[in-house]
Amino acid sequence: MKISVNWLKEYIPVTHTVEEMADKISLTGIESSPVKLGEELTNLVVGHITSIAPHPDSDHLKVCQVDVGESEDIQIVCGAPNAAADQYVIVALHGAHLPNGVKIKRGKLRGQESNGMICGLDEVGVPAKYMPEEFENGIYVFDEPQKPGQAVYDLLGLKEQMIDIDITPNRADTLGMRGAAWEIGATYDEKPSFTKPELDDAKVTSDSDITADVEEKQLVPDYLLREINGVKVAKSPLWMQRRLWNQGIRPVNSVVDAANYTMIEYGQPIQAYDADKLAAKKLVVKLAHNGDKLHLADEDKVLDANDLIITAGDQILGLAGVQTSDVAAVDENTKNVILEAGVFNGASVRKAAQRHDLRGDDSNRFEKGVDNGIVTEALMRAAQLVDQDSDVASISETITGNFTKAEPTIIKGSISHINHLMGLHLATDEITKILDRLGFDVAVAGDDITVTIPTRRWDMAIEADLVEEVNRIYGYANLPNTLPAGMETKGGYSPKRELANKLRDILLGEGMDEVINFSLLSKQEVEDFNVIDSEYTKLLHPMTEDHEYLRNSLVPGLVRNVAYNQARKNDDLQIFEHARIFSRATGKERPDEITYLSGAVSGNVVADSWNTTAQPADFYYVKGIVEELLSFVNADAEFTFEATKDYKNMHPGQTAKILANGQVIGFVGKLHPNYQKAHNVSDTYVFELNVDLLFDLNKKNVKAQAAPKYPAISRDLAILVDKDVENGQIVNDIFANGGKYLKDVNIFDVYQGKNIAANHKSLGYHLVFLNPNDTLTDEEVEKSFTVVKDSLVKKFNVEIR
Amino acid sequence: MSLNDTLKNLRENGIDEAKRAERLQELNDLRVNLLGKKGPITKALRGMKDVPAEERPEIGTLANNVKKDIQAAIEEKMVELNEKLVAKKLEDETIDVTLPATKQVQGTKHILNQTIEDIEQFFIGLGYEVAGGYEVEEDHYNFERLNIPKDHPARDMQDTFYLSDELLMRTQTSAQEGRDMEAHDFTKGPLKMISPGVVYRRDDDDATHSHQFHQIEGLVVDKNISMADLKGTLDALCRHVFGPDREIRFRPSYFPFTEPSVEVDVSCFNCGGQGCRICKYTGWIEVLGAGLTHPNVLKMSGIDPNEYSGMAFGLGPERFAMLKYGVNDIRDFYLNDVRFLEQFKGVN
Ligand SMILES: [Zn+2]
Repeated sequence: MKISVNWLKEYIPVTHTVEEMADKISLTGIESSPVKLGEELTNLVVGHITSIAPHPDSDHLKVCQVDVGESEDIQIVCGAPNAAADQYVIVALHGAHLPNGVKIKRGKLRGQESNGMICGLDEVGVPAKYMPEEFENGIYVFDEPQKPGQAVYDLLGLKEQMIDIDITPNRADTLGMRGAAWEIGATYDEKPSFTKPELDDAKVTSDSDITADVEEKQLVPDYLLREINGVKVAKSPLWMQRRLWNQGIRPVNSVVDAANYTMIEYGQPIQAYDADKLAAKKLVVKLAHNGDKLHLADEDKVLDANDLIITAGDQILGLAGVQTSDVAAVDENTKNVILEAGVFNGASVRKAAQRHDLRGDDSNRFEKGVDNGIVTEALMRAAQLVDQDSDVASISETITGNFTKAEPTIIKGSISHINHLMGLHLATDEITKILDRLGFDVAVAGDDITVTIPTRRWDMAIEADLVEEVNRIYGYANLPNTLPAGMETKGGYSPKRELANKLRDILLGEGMDEVINFSLLSKQEVEDFNVIDSEYTKLLHPMTEDHEYLRNSLVPGLVRNVAYNQARKNDDLQIFEHARIFSRATGKERPDEITYLSGAVSGNVVADSWNTTAQPADFYYVKGIVEELLSFVNADAEFTFEATKDYKNMHPGQTAKILANGQVIGFVGKLHPNYQKAHNVSDTYVFELNVDLLFDLNKKNVKAQAAPKYPAISRDLAILVDKDVENGQIVNDIFANGGKYLKDVNIFDVYQGKNIAANHKSLGYHLVFLNPNDTLTDEEVEKSFTVVKDSLVKKFNVEIR
Repeated sequence: MSLNDTLKNLRENGIDEAKRAERLQELNDLRVNLLGKKGPITKALRGMKDVPAEERPEIGTLANNVKKDIQAAIEEKMVELNEKLVAKKLEDETIDVTLPATKQVQGTKHILNQTIEDIEQFFIGLGYEVAGGYEVEEDHYNFERLNIPKDHPARDMQDTFYLSDELLMRTQTSAQEGRDMEAHDFTKGPLKMISPGVVYRRDDDDATHSHQFHQIEGLVVDKNISMADLKGTLDALCRHVFGPDREIRFRPSYFPFTEPSVEVDVSCFNCGGQGCRICKYTGWIEVLGAGLTHPNVLKMSGIDPNEYSGMAFGLGPERFAMLKYGVNDIRDFYLNDVRFLEQFKGVN
């Protein structure tokens, strides 16, 4: 809401610039910014059209003689259809500056001299949608004679200075000028003064045939009406009109404007109905029936049983607290008016406004709350304004549909506790002074403080609220900087996070860049990599098909990254991600969150350069990364790789499950060529590791051993074997038969092809024997070596070469 | 020619030849040829028998000196040739040091994680534990326990992805507060924790919005926590992240789970507070929200607000990184273009 400084001055003295005020209010209360309308405007004065003649060379232009307060009238050519003699109008003189950089110069229009421009309100800065409808397609004409030549700015509020306050939902008390005056007044230690509205006793009558009823009293604590008879609807005075259009409200007529003005003044929305258009003399607030229709905002809204409505007989007048339809709108022919001031349940209003897409000034206030203590007064104020401007015959007493007496809130607290929570040592009277500035009544008894909060501050409920009020008005800038002084604590990561950090460091060391992807995937993506065999977990109301399901693998995200980069010629990629996947068991609602560490390698791992030749990524490169990771897990576990064809989007001949003591903890392999093609990525190798499972493995118990003192003896072994026999099987068998001194088995050659029998391959192994306690003899080694060879021949039918 | 003269000639020629040698091999040959058992000096000494006995010692001395002199000449030349050889080798081995290196690449930690870890390390140093929490959270912890009952207008401030009536993608890492307070044993000292993590909002992705982003929630609950403690802690944090000359200020704000609630601004690190485009000419940049834990939130976790007080703060790593490094589009963090990622190598 924008707080007009001129308006504010009716309640408190204002001595600072809007910039200073906005700054100070921001720091002590509510985020604010200064608004200075029409700063660019110059040379705009009242003009009196003394005579008007048709333009000799145009059918729509008129030649006006205009008194602008100078010795002679000036001639202005004007095209507005509503321009007429004896009008008081806005004249932009030669040299005038208008909004949007428009500059007015004297000149000739179709041969006729024109020494300025007669303006519409929208041409001098009032948005077209907020100016009175009658001037929509023409110039603005003052209702009353004005002094020609005087500046128009104050008359029309064109250079109004305002403070735009952007409230948090708890401070809706400032959505009225009076509430804002309290807040700004507290900031500057100025108590606002208000004039109580009064009605002309002679016109007030208890005689009214209008009644009110509230069916949902829980939702409508207050529902008050006043009937006003014998109304002559007119235009409201200019001062009210200009305040309204500067609030973004279009002036309509003296009754509607009075209602709207009261809302801005008090923060209490007021409705006005034409009593003669009502289908019944009784206004009832109740819940709609499913399927009821109401024409609002150029649409037929279909209501349901949650919608609170105002009715007269079978006529629906409006959605309570949200918007009123036109069926009983007050117009220039209205004779009898009903003014309504209600308080409607915030949640109910909020939902209705959302449901029907009708959020506005009224619903904004009811959603956040209004002051139950001023409903009666606000209604009286509206009636007073109607009476002032509409020539009223009689005004009814308040007609009550429901009324709840508003009681002030009593908050008890302790001076020491308040100080303690602020980290300050303010004297009692310093605290009570601040509370008094806010208009709260304070009673002190020793350390105890009892604060009576007026109904206009319905956000205040507990001692902590007092802490905030005292602290902000005292000034947060005056708080010292301290650190919590309690018992020392030891900070740190959880052990699982420590493990993850260590593993991430390994991958960074391997040259892999870390990525962060979205957890929400498309349906296709969760189907693509459901290697953990989880139920899919879907959002109830996704925003896009791209982000509909919780991810069950990090691979789809990594593939997106590879594709995105390769489309931009970043061909060589090594990336990893440490994040959670979501695994949901059948029948369970809540998915488990499992920490994964996954990576993708694509393109070359060694670049082609002047001194190196390109080395493309392959299975074994990525397997090497995985093995290095596993070695840093520090787990007392046997890690194995087992060929798998289980994963539909992985290459069936180049993928392995990774197992720890026989339990699957992840996989490594090449993406399926079809999948690669579909995603526009080159050969890409990926791995996934379940960090939670790695973390759960028993820790290795490392016992130091001295470096061997005795030399090792090695033997090389070349075998020819069926190509389907895996290296892993051979190595296991060698270890099984190599005796206790066999320390290491390394494969140094794998060959298939020329000079090798079909369906066979040649493998070369390097066996290292070592006795840590004595010198090994060739005989001992040879004996073991023979056992190894014999076993291989027997088990795998190998040919020793 | 007397033996004497012969030896002198041999010396002269020998030294001369040594000096003229150009390769090490020539010098080796020279040594073998001149000084060897079959060499001219040995041969000449066979004429000793014709030399009168009294002159023999003199000739003998001369012969030894000749050998020594030739030997010295050869060695001197060898040193010289060796030096030349080394010089030549060094010359031959000279390379163009401006040619590009053989790459020894370390990966780059994602800038958001660098930012998060920098903040984590700061708080670990102050004795805070880092807690993880759940990304799929119950409405109960994400809202109810934070003093945001159903129908509370604050629920509109955060549009939520629900999985069911009671399960949702957490909208704030504050969702961790209830769980941490429940789990904490206050007889063992204060609760001091930060929980970094991913949160989700039903937002359209654009330059400043992302349906997924990160938050770091901080919570301290103890017997004596005050607004001044909150201010001191966040002041130190902002100096750590944005530079030692920074200041912070509190502005009143509203969060349902803190009372008082404040927004925290840091003095502009770009202009030092003079006003510039980054701080929208205010000299201040809003960086986080904070406050004292609402008594209701403490009570719901079984903590007596008359005995204990708490402070909480929540900050956005994306916002921190965008401000600090001038990232203009939040989507860049999630597109993972390696050229974008790698520019942040080692910044934290
Ligand atoms: Zn700046």
